[in-house]
Amino acid sequence: MKNKKRNQKNTSNAVFKFLTFFASSLTIVIIISMIISLFYQSIPAIQKFGFVDFIFTREWSFNKDIYGAFRPLSGTILTSIGALLLAIPIALGIAIFITEICPAFLRNIISSAIELLAAIPSIIYGMWGLFTLAPLIEGTVQKAVSSTIGLLPVIGPMFQSEYAGGVSIFTASIVLSIMVIPFIAAIARDTFTQTPDILKESAYGLGATKWEVVRYIVLPYSKTGVQSGIIIAAGRALGETMAIAYVIGNRHGPLNSIFDPYTTITSVLANEFNEAVGTQLSTLFLLAFILFIANFITLAIAKIYSRRGLSNEL
Amino acid sequence: MKTEQEIVLETKDLNFYYGKKLAVKNITMQFPKNMVIALIGPSGCGKTTLLRCFNRMHDLYKGIKYEGEVLFHNENILTKETDATQLREQIGMVFQKPTPFPMSISENIAYGLSLKGIKNKTEQKDRIEKALKEAALWDEVHDRLDKNANGLSGGQQQRLVIARALAVEPSVILFDEPTSALDPISTSKIEELISELKSTVSIIIVTHNMQQAARISDKTAFLYLGELIEYNITDKIFTNPDNELTERYVTGRFG
Amino acid sequence: MNYKLRKIKNVVVLSLSVGATGIGLFFLGFILFDLISKGFSSINIELFTVDQTPPILDDVKGGLRHAFIGQIILTVVATLIAVPLGLLGGTYLAEYGRHKRIGRVISMLADISVSMPSIIVGTFVYAILVKPLGGYNGFAGAIALAIIMLPVITRTTEEMLKLVPWTLREAAFALGASYNNLIVKVVWRGAATGIFTGVLLAIARVAGETAPLLFTSFNNTQLSFDLTKPMPSLTVSIYQYASSPYSSWINMAWAAALIITVAILILNLIGKWLINWRYKS
Repeated sequence: MKNKKRNQKNTSNAVFKFLTFFASSLTIVIIISMIISLFYQSIPAIQKFGFVDFIFTREWSFNKDIYGAFRPLSGTILTSIGALLLAIPIALGIAIFITEICPAFLRNIISSAIELLAAIPSIIYGMWGLFTLAPLIEGTVQKAVSSTIGLLPVIGPMFQSEYAGGVSIFTASIVLSIMVIPFIAAIARDTFTQTPDILKESAYGLGATKWEVVRYIVLPYSKTGVQSGIIIAAGRALGETMAIAYVIGNRHGPLNSIFDPYTTITSVLANEFNEAVGTQLSTLFLLAFILFIANFITLAIAKIYSRRGLSNEL
Repeated sequence: MKTEQEIVLETKDLNFYYGKKLAVKNITMQFPKNMVIALIGPSGCGKTTLLRCFNRMHDLYKGIKYEGEVLFHNENILTKETDATQLREQIGMVFQKPTPFPMSISENIAYGLSLKGIKNKTEQKDRIEKALKEAALWDEVHDRLDKNANGLSGGQQQRLVIARALAVEPSVILFDEPTSALDPISTSKIEELISELKSTVSIIIVTHNMQQAARISDKTAFLYLGELIEYNITDKIFTNPDNELTERYVTGRFG
Repeated sequence: MNYKLRKIKNVVVLSLSVGATGIGLFFLGFILFDLISKGFSSINIELFTVDQTPPILDDVKGGLRHAFIGQIILTVVATLIAVPLGLLGGTYLAEYGRHKRIGRVISMLADISVSMPSIIVGTFVYAILVKPLGGYNGFAGAIALAIIMLPVITRTTEEMLKLVPWTLREAAFALGASYNNLIVKVVWRGAATGIFTGVLLAIARVAGETAPLLFTSFNNTQLSFDLTKPMPSLTVSIYQYASSPYSSWINMAWAAALIITVAILILNLIGKWLINWRYKS
């Protein structure tokens, strides 16, 4: 009788353990299935274009049935870099403000408000970017820049655009930067607050100003955390879809100016996947596969680099 | 003290290893029934490690090894055939910090009862009341049994944990420095309680507080570097120990 | 002199950081204000009670009832799939697999999956559930959302269970509990608020997702309860309406955008409030 009870207990624990293991292994199963199925769907495109040629082909033509990754890939990289260049200083500024300057009673409120930026769905950023921000940029920043810097020799044309509407790689970078600011700011804030007070106090004791404490104590101390936060944000930026799809303009033409519409991997997918067949569909799968791998590697680097706890994206 | 005492727990040449480190060395000792036995010694002397051999708590972790025997009611509990789960129903344990489960006061006790197979609500209710009375907590909590146990004070929580252990009617309760996280008043309540409980259960208590050992225990064992240095009637240990090391420790000259 | 320079530098940099915060808050305010000013006036009862009507019929008022209901169905089905799996998976990582290499690897992969581009999930589900089955279907949409939720819930559960002190498990073992029993009765219970918050935040996360639905559940002009058929959703409808040339549709898109944003922000605030209430007091 006693043994029977014991066996039942052991069996139910074994069953439960297996169930939990099965559920957690789904994470691996999903990732492996993604790699296999996306790659499998990409095979016709790889066979037709060759992987390396595909990366450097600029053409994207339905009539000739030739599709190259160069423009979407470069668009993805450029918008992400542009977004990070804008977002990093602002996000670090926000983190410095919250941890070092902000009065205690406001700290939570401002922190939460900045975090809410991350909760707004990306399609909302897209609509706002298309209907509100793009015309605004066209009428202000773009106009001002093209009538000043745009008149300079050599670099001038990079700030002139023949396209109207304000949708451009510049606008896309702005929208994207607003979307990644809360991620970098939250991670920077968390790592800043982990700086031991004793270090900061001894620097103040030596007569350092607040900025000097941040510059020579807080920033070096939280370097790893902040850097990995930036890499995570880069991963986010690479894969952002709906906001970009609205404001990038989806144009497979040469990029001559920061105010030209262009394309990214995600916006090509969002715009063309549903109607695509044959080689084009396979090409889109190949783009998705490339994005998946790029994103995966970026985030893996960030995770291995930092070995952080609970990810701040949650 | 009678010489012919019934023995509830006994170790024979007990060695215990964490990985390659021998933490408990060749210990042979007997624990008489219905007594309070104190294990004392400086930090890292192996007293807690020894205590956790008695309910096979070490089994939860990897890389551990027992050698020798621990006899519980004359049956070796270090064998493969021993069901640690059933053993722990008979040998309860109270930890350094109070460990109330995140549930109501009565549910805390009912949990142990249902593990033992007592699921009848009326019987549970009676047992809960009895256990809380035994743990001298009933008067303080009888009107809020369905309130969360985390709302109790530290001392009350510790007595709840004792009640929880008592409810399943174990024959031994192991106490691992049960008052180290408590204030002096709560401590004296727990000490009083332990002294009263020995009429129903046998008690083994690890403590770093020598006055506590002197106040509540019948016998005291002094351990040092994993070895049993001296084991005797508490009065003898504290007034006239045989071993010089023991004397130096109990007089506060090292440790 | 040198001291003065340092003082000035200090003031300049600190002002810049105040400015940066101002920029962040400005954009939050800007977006919310824009949403309210463009969306609020288009919220009316028909939005919730009428399905899609052809945009050219100006006298017939259309609505998004079908999309609201479709969105709820997709989110609920995804939640029903992802919550039990995420809860069990996170339990493995925090309990049985806590000190195992495989546990750490899965935990890291789940962390990476949290930031996986959602459109990739859409293309993946298209490849395994739409193409082979011959058409867009609601079930594929729900699976895509569940795939996005799963790592979020797995990781939150893992972290929340790890916050339950280890001594509580020892105490339950000391009473004679088996591991599975004490996980379910003691550990889960101790982490319930945190796990519930994680589920809320995961729902908030997928409720605004558009990209994974584009190629899976697609859209439907009519109310549909059939998971084997294309299913309408609010987000895809917003995308479609906002990209259309009809002003009535664009207005409806703004109204829907306002509603979905407010709902998601409220879920997030409740989540933050719960965490504060449970873990910081």
